[in-house]
Amino acid sequence: MVEGKKKIFPVHYAPGKRLFHIVVTLSDAPGSYSSILDLVRTRVNLIGTSTYTRSDGTAMFSGFSEALSPTLTAEELKKLIMSSKAAISAIVFEGEDGLLVDTFHTGFVVGDEEYILMRRDGLVHVFDRVSKMLGSGGDALLFEEGVTMGQRNAEMMIKTVGARRVRAQTGVLNRFLAAQGWGILAAKEGPGKDGFTVKVVDCFECSAHGSSRTGCNFVRGYLAGGAKATFGKDYESKETKCRLKGAEACEFQLNPSRTG
Amino acid sequence: MRQWRILAVAVLQGALFLSRAAFPAFLLTLPIATLPLVLETKGDFETIATELNKKGVKAHAPAAIIGKSGVKHEFAFALMPDTGKARIVVDTELSVKEVDEMKVLKFYVKVFDVSPEKAVLCVSPKLGARAATLAKEYGITVLEDDVPRRLIPMAEKVVNEFVGSGGS
Repeated sequence: MVEGKKKIFPVHYAPGKRLFHIVVTLSDAPGSYSSILDLVRTRVNLIGTSTYTRSDGTAMFSGFSEALSPTLTAEELKKLIMSSKAAISAIVFEGEDGLLVDTFHTGFVVGDEEYILMRRDGLVHVFDRVSKMLGSGGDALLFEEGVTMGQRNAEMMIKTVGARRVRAQTGVLNRFLAAQGWGILAAKEGPGKDGFTVKVVDCFECSAHGSSRTGCNFVRGYLAGGAKATFGKDYESKETKCRLKGAEACEFQLNPSRTG
Repeated sequence: MRQWRILAVAVLQGALFLSRAAFPAFLLTLPIATLPLVLETKGDFETIATELNKKGVKAHAPAAIIGKSGVKHEFAFALMPDTGKARIVVDTELSVKEVDEMKVLKFYVKVFDVSPEKAVLCVSPKLGARAATLAKEYGITVLEDDVPRRLIPMAEKVVNEFVGSGGS
């Protein structure tokens, strides 16, 4: 199996299709989820689903679906779902003219932290604009913001899993960034003493075509800030390879700062 | 004569396109009409730098300085000892109308990264009201004159006073 990008469904557009967003509160017991799936699959084709548990001991099922019959209504679907003993409550939203938007959820939560979702390309163009408006100062600003975010995120991770684990399992935790779409990070020690090299495949910062920037200053800062919070000292961060300069992947060298 | 001047400016524009790296960044953002003036101004900053260097004060015009972030910034002029830490940086903003706050911000973010003891922005004709407020807030010394060439002796005076006072 090949690793890849996860598909999520805050919105779906399928012209000519009858679309439904099914949200069900389930008892958090074995078999609850499958019993709902068994019921709905006779009436709809599920496009994308997610499930999660809640602090009150219940579980949530959320699914985007296409009706198998042109006469199926949201009310019929809800009635069907509620015939299951596993269902505590259900809401079925119907799309309009082939457009279905998640009107139930109000954001994302990872652990205890709230997240937002935005287009990768959109963020990259914000960076482009900052760099274009403020010149080299804009690049410096992006670096500083990267440092701040890297430091804060690492501190949050240290608070969650502990400093020792963060230091020992940097490789595993880098996959957390990959899962969020930042790029696939791989770190190795050296070349300098106490320094390390980080290769970033599919780095988000240089993913947009036609960027006017010449480097990934935000990610460069992010790595420096993360390293500072993790190892308790300042790091100098240098981008030695970048896709914006024709390389296949970005590469950063981090070495303990000589000035402190 | 007028045609020659237009041609010269056009050639300069072409050269800027072909060799962006060879020119200071501030030259790339100016309208065509101001280019000859800027080049003249730049030349005069070089003269100030040459004079100071003769006196043993390390000055550069233009000056490329690497900031705390590792990003390289360009200024029209800078006093910078061999330690690489800039003491004073000077930039110019020439326009046909009042200079807006974005130009002040653009200068400030460079200054912030380089952390000099003093930052001077030479402006012609003058800063807009919001830009002036911003410059004051950021502690930027602003020199204004309708005639760009007059900014050079004004900047030279500020630099010499700074050198004479021994710094900050």
